[in-house]
Amino acid sequence: MSSALILLAWRNVWRNRRRTLITLLSIAAGLAALLFGQSLVYTIQYQLVEKATGVHTGHIQILEAKTADFKFPDRYIPDPGGIEKILDATPEVAVYERRVVVTGMISSKKEAAGVLLCGVDPERDPRVLQMSRYLKRGRLLGPDGEGVYLGDKLAAKLGVNLGDEVVLMGSARDGSMGAELQRVTGIFSSGSQTFDASIIYVSIKTASRLMALGDEVNDFVIRVRDPMRLDEARDELARRLRGRPVRVVTWEQVDFELVGIRDYQNALLDIVLCVIFLIVSLGILNTLLMSLFERVREFGVLMAIGAGPRFIRRMILLESGILGALGGALGLAAGCAIILYYRKAGFVLPVGESIGFFMPFDSVLFLRFDWGRHVTAGAAVLLTSVLSGLPPAFRASRMKPAESLRHI
Amino acid sequence: MEPLIQLKNITKVYEIGGPAMGRLGRLRGGAHPGLSVTALKQLSLDFHRGEFTAIAGPSGSGKSTLLNIIGTIDSPTRGEVHYEGRKVSSLREELLADFRLRSLGFVFQAYNLISVLTAVENVEYVLALQGIGREERAQRAREALRRVGVEAQADRRPDLLSGGQQQRVAVARAIVHRPMVVLADEPTANLDSKTAEALLALMLDLNEEHGVTFLFSSHDPRVLSRAKRVIQIHDGCVEGEEDRE
Repeated sequence: MSSALILLAWRNVWRNRRRTLITLLSIAAGLAALLFGQSLVYTIQYQLVEKATGVHTGHIQILEAKTADFKFPDRYIPDPGGIEKILDATPEVAVYERRVVVTGMISSKKEAAGVLLCGVDPERDPRVLQMSRYLKRGRLLGPDGEGVYLGDKLAAKLGVNLGDEVVLMGSARDGSMGAELQRVTGIFSSGSQTFDASIIYVSIKTASRLMALGDEVNDFVIRVRDPMRLDEARDELARRLRGRPVRVVTWEQVDFELVGIRDYQNALLDIVLCVIFLIVSLGILNTLLMSLFERVREFGVLMAIGAGPRFIRRMILLESGILGALGGALGLAAGCAIILYYRKAGFVLPVGESIGFFMPFDSVLFLRFDWGRHVTAGAAVLLTSVLSGLPPAFRASRMKPAESLRHI
Repeated sequence: MEPLIQLKNITKVYEIGGPAMGRLGRLRGGAHPGLSVTALKQLSLDFHRGEFTAIAGPSGSGKSTLLNIIGTIDSPTRGEVHYEGRKVSSLREELLADFRLRSLGFVFQAYNLISVLTAVENVEYVLALQGIGREERAQRAREALRRVGVEAQADRRPDLLSGGQQQRVAVARAIVHRPMVVLADEPTANLDSKTAEALLALMLDLNEEHGVTFLFSSHDPRVLSRAKRVIQIHDGCVEGEEDRE
């Protein structure tokens, strides 16, 4: 690209400073808002996934092959020891635990409630899942595996406190009614109605005893070393477990509604992206067309002194490119500054309370960069700018020099 | 000697109201294809290297149209334009632009300097379009400005120059790349008589001392009196021709 072209395009951009600044600001404001929106949605999605996989689902689960409802695995996996040997030998697996997850009842002297009873490995569970982070009082299950820890809302409903006795009941596998007397060892508060009011944790030993199980379990919860290569890890595990009556599923298959939320949010973002690009392109088109009509005579002069249609086209495209690049750079800088601010200060999002009904979800979001989308948005602004320069560029390049020179 | 420029049976017809009006006329019955005005009628002329020729005539006689067609910035409806025996009137616009870039210089009535460039940048621009290096073009542009007497204003933008200074810069821009011919459409029309006289003297000097070929249009008798050849145009036809050399 010749220096003559760049010089003239640059000067033309600044021909009407105020108009150019307004155009740049509108591009920058649109892009900055988009970046903020992308970051907010990404942070929500990240937190949703982190919480969902972190507190209950894990990255990957191994379930009995005929399990229909992945959220409530009511079928039992035989020979969990054999599966553990395979898990120990699979490099993709970082840590795992076996669980017994059943529905049952908990009752105190005052009240009873239906609950989801999670029998976890007391030693491994804090490494696999993060419920222990929400413990507010008492302790997790001791090494002997005795005790129960439950949410503050359930504790309040039952009227129990640390050390109080509760009775756990469940319909055992052999058809009998199982019952266990346990003491409350810990009370957690995750902020989620579902977790704090209806899920309780006991050791897998207690749960197995209650349900009259032998060695069987309902699921294995696995955290992988590289969550970005989840499908590969699942496929590898499925390959290694071939021939056993189990199925390997990722969190996306278990918490499919989160995938739906994510896709829905992404689709919304794409629509917003299109709207912003439309605004950006109309703004640039307006600026360029106004500038074009002001310069018709000058195009005539340029063509007369030897600038061909290609030069005129390239000059206008370069002008729109400069507008897009400057506006895009400003927008990226402003957007990043906003994200950085809320990354540090936190952004209070009221929707956190509603999402929190279903799972632990912090209402203060510490924004994260979604670089892939941010860079795409910046590049798209540049591309949109250049594309919006096409109509004026072709229009100007088709002008006849003599007619342009007659233009007043 | 082969003429530098040959015009062969040039006719130029303007459709008034543009093609849309023509289409509208045809839609309304086909008998009214819009208004058309014939600006030049079967005009044939030769111009030779080193000429200092004026095209004279009243307003609307076709002077500017003729200069535009000679300058290839307008195309004839019929007829041919030849430069040194080569037909240029049928070239594609991109090739025509390149031809103008290397062979022609223009001076316009309204100066038409590029407002966002300084005087020296305006002059340099033709050389930049030719791809000449920065140092050489700066040196040649300043030399051209010196030759027309506005070197001191080289770094000013057009809006800070007087009309006469702007027209001198325009002349510098027209000659800096040593074109075959400089075409000037009413170059003195917007200047006061003293400035017009000085500009004309400058053009004559460039013609006599440096051999620059000038074709210019004017209806000012004082300007026409300095021309070495005068072609009188009226209603798109050559009405008369006077060779004073």
